[in-house]
Amino acid sequence: MPRWLRLVIVAGIAALVVVLALSFRRDPRDLRTGTVGKPAAAFALQRLDGSGELKLEPGGSKIVVLNFFASWCIPCKQENPTLVRVYERYRGSDVEFIGVLYQDSPDAGLKYVRDNGVTWPTVNDDQGRVAFSYGVFGIPETYFIGPDGVIAGRHIGPIDETTLVNGIEALRAKVRK
Amino acid sequence: MTARENAVLRARAMIVIGLVAIVVAVAWSARPHAETPAERVDRITSGLRCVVCQGLSVKDSPAESARQMRDLVVQRVAEGRSDREIVDEFRASYGDWVVLEPPLLSWSALVWLVPVAALLVGGAVAWRGMRTPPPQPPEAPPADVAALRERVAREEALDLPSTETP
Repeated sequence: MPRWLRLVIVAGIAALVVVLALSFRRDPRDLRTGTVGKPAAAFALQRLDGSGELKLEPGGSKIVVLNFFASWCIPCKQENPTLVRVYERYRGSDVEFIGVLYQDSPDAGLKYVRDNGVTWPTVNDDQGRVAFSYGVFGIPETYFIGPDGVIAGRHIGPIDETTLVNGIEALRAKVRK
Repeated sequence: MTARENAVLRARAMIVIGLVAIVVAVAWSARPHAETPAERVDRITSGLRCVVCQGLSVKDSPAESARQMRDLVVQRVAEGRSDREIVDEFRASYGDWVVLEPPLLSWSALVWLVPVAALLVGGAVAWRGMRTPPPQPPEAPPADVAALRERVAREEALDLPSTETP
């Protein structure tokens, strides 16, 4: 086998190993593609409790935790106690929680909210447009939006307390700097 | 002209007319025509990946997410947006991943380039292999040839079957 061909084969295998190594190092729950690092999309959606429209205009000096959920979503129920605890911890602070109902009926969503102690504002994304604008793959998904209106991070799947608090505190630390 | 010749002529004429009709029909159906909005939606959605499916296009997927993506494409087409604007709206949220045919001007171009490069390298190796003559076996030293001839002659003289010594 000629020397140059051996070099090509070795280089090809080395490139494959590097690509695989980089891929395995990535956290599948922390997809960097799409909207992370970009300005969050503004939206206006009807509140589930029927009290009118909720408008999100990112960049309004608050940290926003945006959680996409549905009543039929089992992992959403699993993560809900964490969301309730952390919401109570930051209630009245510079952190705002918003729940976005995804591919669900408003009635089922409202029942879920009432049955599971969700007291933060919840809205209905009935056509999935807001979910598309944030790049939602499947629920639950949680987005961390900084006071500058930029999406600082996203978490795919049920979120745990440490990840949620760390995401919020990282943004608060950035604000304090 | 006899009746039989007339019948043959008519049959041939019918065959020719039938063939011409088929060619005209095929050409008519394949003619360039203005794309309807529904055809445009089908074309765009067949190039978009359903975000909750395994390798299915938005057009082919029965999933609710795919239906909502299709509805959005329908709305954008009705608004008069260009194909590029519509696809870019999804790319802004989901990256190049959402496009079933990866664009050439990004990292995903490797998907197109690597097979071509592999084909070129393989072709070069095959070309080199065909041009290079197969290696000739080394010629035996004259002493060995002489010894072998002598042995063959001896065995022929004795009329012994040929044997191989280790």
